[in-house]
Amino acid sequence: MKKEKLILYFVATLFGLLVAGIAFYLFQTTRTIPTTATKTITLASPTPTSAPSISLALNQPADEEVVNSKVLIVSGKTQSNAIVVVITDSSQDVITPSANGNFSTTVNLDNDQNILEVTAIAPNGESVTSKKTVTYSQEEF
Amino acid sequence: MKKYILIISLIACLLPFAPLAYAATPTPEDKTTEIRDQLITNIASRVAQLKLVEKRGIIGETSNVTNTQITITDSQNNTRFVDVDELTKFSNPAVKGSFGISDITKGETVGILGLYNKESRRILARFVNVMTTPTIIHGGVSAIDSETFSFNVATEEGKQMTVDVENLTKTYSYTQKDGLVRSGFSKIKENFNIIATGVLDKKDKNKLIVTRIIFFPEIPSNPKVNSALEHAQKSK
Repeated sequence: MKKEKLILYFVATLFGLLVAGIAFYLFQTTRTIPTTATKTITLASPTPTSAPSISLALNQPADEEVVNSKVLIVSGKTQSNAIVVVITDSSQDVITPSANGNFSTTVNLDNDQNILEVTAIAPNGESVTSKKTVTYSQEEF
Repeated sequence: MKKYILIISLIACLLPFAPLAYAATPTPEDKTTEIRDQLITNIASRVAQLKLVEKRGIIGETSNVTNTQITITDSQNNTRFVDVDELTKFSNPAVKGSFGISDITKGETVGILGLYNKESRRILARFVNVMTTPTIIHGGVSAIDSETFSFNVATEEGKQMTVDVENLTKTYSYTQKDGLVRSGFSKIKENFNIIATGVLDKKDKNKLIVTRIIFFPEIPSNPKVNSALEHAQKSK
């Protein structure tokens, strides 16, 4: 008798939970939110960055490179209609890239550390600069 | 029957120890293999060690100097740690006679050549040289003073720099037709796109004593500096 009662309680609880679940599901699916209760949030567009349209990638030399030759090859890529200005401590050169934007030139280095600054300037005046430190040394250590 | 079960159990128990019985008596071939493996490990370790260290040359401004270490700020504003030892050589072109680490002061620009450790990211200096680095500015000409042979340049960073032209200043102009040719101060006009190289005046950090000028008559100044140019020209 006691066992039958327990089973009955258990079945009744399960049945109750099932009915409550169905009722909650039906309530949620049929519910409508009034338009007065909704609020439209407009996300502000991110601040436009003033990145230059011109790009410059230096293939060589690498920054902080140590070389044992006074003649250094400088090469890289930029947009084809730009001009490239290569400035070292004691020399300067202006070159124009090829049709695919590649450029290459040689510069003479001074002893020890040299600052190499490569600037690409677009026809509209926009520019981008890459700065490298190159050391000429024949010291063995 | 019991006897067979006992034998099978015994064999089953002893089977896992069979390889050990072989290992206990190494043959000359095994020893050679062992030495070869050890050599390979040592060589690989040495190669890794060699690749870990490379020669590098850096420039920076000293922020702290001790007997064993120099801390500098490089051109990218990174703090770099430089170790010095008894083999490190110090020099300063402006100083005659002996020059050592104790002579280096905070705020000086130094060039360092040494061994860079990729793991610790420190440089073991072999040569430390006090130096003066040139300053390169790029912008648009905002005003020209023909009497004092100077002109103002509005830079991309929004600065107004005064460029002081000296007798030794080399001036170049670049055009598509003529390329890079020697020119003069009188050819410089307002709004020209210009690059000037020189050293900053010790008294006035907004004044550049220029050694080289390259200007581009055919290229307008950077749109970034145009507003600064207009502002400078209106305030005249």
